[in-house]
Amino acid sequence: MASLGAWLAERAPVGEIVEFLRHKRVPQHRYSLFYYAGGAALFFFIVQVVTGALLLMYYRPSAGEAFESVQFIMARVPFGWLIRSIHSWSANLMVGVVFAHLFSVLFLKAYRRPRELTWMSGMLLLGLVLAFGFTGYLLPWNQLAFFATRVGTEIPSSIPWIGPSLVRLLRGGPDVTGGTLTRFFGVHVAILPGICTILLATHVLLVQRHGMSTPPSIEQEIEASRRPGQSLPFLPHYVLHDLFGWTLALALLAALSAFFPWELGTKADVFAPAPAGIRPEWYFLWMFQTLKLVPAKVFGLEGEFVAVVAFSLGGLAMFLLPVIDRNTRTSRRIVSWTAAALLLYMAAMTWMVLRGGGQ
Amino acid sequence: MKMRVRLLAVSGWLLGTAAAVLAQSPNPSVTADQARALFQNDVHQAAGLTCTACHDQAKGDQYAAPARAGIPKLCGSCHTNASYMKQFNPQLRVDQYPRYLTSTHGKQITKGELRVAVCSDCHGAHGILSVKDPRAPVYPTNVAKTCARCHADPARMTPFNKPATPPEEWSQSVHAKALLERNDTSAPTCSTCHGSHGAAPPDVENVALVCAQCHVREAELFRKSPKKKLFDSLAMPECVTCHSNHHIVEPQDSWLGFEGDIGCAKCHDDSIGGADVIKGDRKALDDLSAAIAAASDRLGRAERAGMIIDDGRAALREASDQRVLARVSMHAFAAQPLADDAAKGLKSAQLALADADAALAEVQYRRKGLAVATIFIAGFLVTLGLKIRRLNRGE
Repeated sequence: MASLGAWLAERAPVGEIVEFLRHKRVPQHRYSLFYYAGGAALFFFIVQVVTGALLLMYYRPSAGEAFESVQFIMARVPFGWLIRSIHSWSANLMVGVVFAHLFSVLFLKAYRRPRELTWMSGMLLLGLVLAFGFTGYLLPWNQLAFFATRVGTEIPSSIPWIGPSLVRLLRGGPDVTGGTLTRFFGVHVAILPGICTILLATHVLLVQRHGMSTPPSIEQEIEASRRPGQSLPFLPHYVLHDLFGWTLALALLAALSAFFPWELGTKADVFAPAPAGIRPEWYFLWMFQTLKLVPAKVFGLEGEFVAVVAFSLGGLAMFLLPVIDRNTRTSRRIVSWTAAALLLYMAAMTWMVLRGGGQ
Repeated sequence: MKMRVRLLAVSGWLLGTAAAVLAQSPNPSVTADQARALFQNDVHQAAGLTCTACHDQAKGDQYAAPARAGIPKLCGSCHTNASYMKQFNPQLRVDQYPRYLTSTHGKQITKGELRVAVCSDCHGAHGILSVKDPRAPVYPTNVAKTCARCHADPARMTPFNKPATPPEEWSQSVHAKALLERNDTSAPTCSTCHGSHGAAPPDVENVALVCAQCHVREAELFRKSPKKKLFDSLAMPECVTCHSNHHIVEPQDSWLGFEGDIGCAKCHDDSIGGADVIKGDRKALDDLSAAIAAASDRLGRAERAGMIIDDGRAALREASDQRVLARVSMHAFAAQPLADDAAKGLKSAQLALADADAALAEVQYRRKGLAVATIFIAGFLVTLGLKIRRLNRGE
């Protein structure tokens, strides 16, 4: 074993990495719990990769076979029901944890210098996670997903000039067809994982490079007390804490999959009228409801176009937040209140759809 | 003076007759402008015909209404001409007028009775729509309403000694439910049994033939049954005796028995010779229904637990189909073929039950598996927690 270690140390910087981690410390304070959200997101991502790879062995990406292949996985493949349910539940939990991570970073101002690139890579990862969700939703080729994708891919059509071309690009034709399914499958299992792996590696590397950020309020308290802040060794303390959280997440996934297996619904019928209650996955509901509530015309422009522009500008502002925020007491307060308002708005819009008022 | 009295009497009679004739038609009279507006949507307008096609005695802008008694013949002048009609629609029938003459309406109008229906009473006069148009008064879902305009009106029916109740009775029937609630346009409405242009009530001996147009198997079994001869000898209408004519409700398995005043119990008590057959048929149907209900309940539970139970659902559908067959086979008034049909249904229901039980067992297996996994995970978590505590104390 020792000789294997020596063999490795001669060829790879294993010793340096171990040494770095052994000396690394994680701040300990009343907000430390939020540090685990990123780790949980990573855990769910790994679960997605593993279960996705297993599903790939039986899934067939064509309009004629997709639904039946998922049905086959759930009914005939040993533990197929479990793998598919875990994949679906884990995807949803991952989105939830990613949003929790995003808002905790926002409220704790962890995006400040020198962590600008960590924040930006995180924002790009959030976009990728949502793209994973959007493309994966269609893959079982069921009725609800088919019509929700038809509605979702229609949204860019309101953009002048390039809108119709964007819709064609998304759908692989003028309408959602088997071609769209194949396209989404390719994006879901090849393009997005490829980009995601690179971005995730960058993000994790940057987190390791800069360490965990201490919130401004804790920094001030430490300064006032004139004593060094409390911290925890990364190895093994923090890693074991993280492992505890991952194991809890695994138990939750297993329980959800066993007691609430993910439904398959009925096969998509492209000629059938749209069923009642079409709606996207829960994490798109706030945007879906906004698009429904926006008036047909806003300042003489198409309402839907205005909403799309507003979403895009909002996303861009979030991406550039570390550059925009001057890191003064006032600016930090503005960011906190804006984040709280955004969170409240998203929750209210989602609630409106879920209680049926948005229909 | 006498002359004046005669003139007054003649004028009064003329006015009275005119008023009576006007009251006979359910179509209100229209002005020329209204007629032109209605004609814009008329199938005849679409075919290129104009006002003069029917109003051949027009004077300038004045179009006299065709005489009521002459309307069927007027319509028939084109609609019986096969070579003329096929230029508009090669599929269109051209026997409406001869059929009308065989109807009660047609026979009465030939006798000069103007209070019976003519073409325009059912089809309209100026806004005639194709029978395939859901807005047309003769579209299947609208036929009963159209007939009811006269046949549900006691004032119109009493002079002919006809009841005005059939439309109301039909509206409560299984046929009305199928047609109006499920929009099943193959379900029978008035014209399906009575005919449309040749409308007439079927004779007692013909009722079964009319019902047999749809209920083929029931009629076939009944004809071969001992009941056929008996009903004929007593001049009892075959289907109507048990099912009524217009107010046909959904038959119940409980009719096969001696309770109440319906089904077998209408004429028999359990002292008759065939009582055992009736009881046997009823038991077979009850057993099958109980098995279907149990399978449906357990399949539902398995489905709610997230199981795929397609095979069970298919078997349950088969069992339900066999129950329909068994219920139809009751018309043989014998133990067979109902017993065989019910036995096949029972076998399918048991297959569905077995599938449901297997699925529910699988649910239990999964839960037990999860419980075992949870014990291991919990054990690991406790160990990890203890380790973390020890580490924290050491710090």
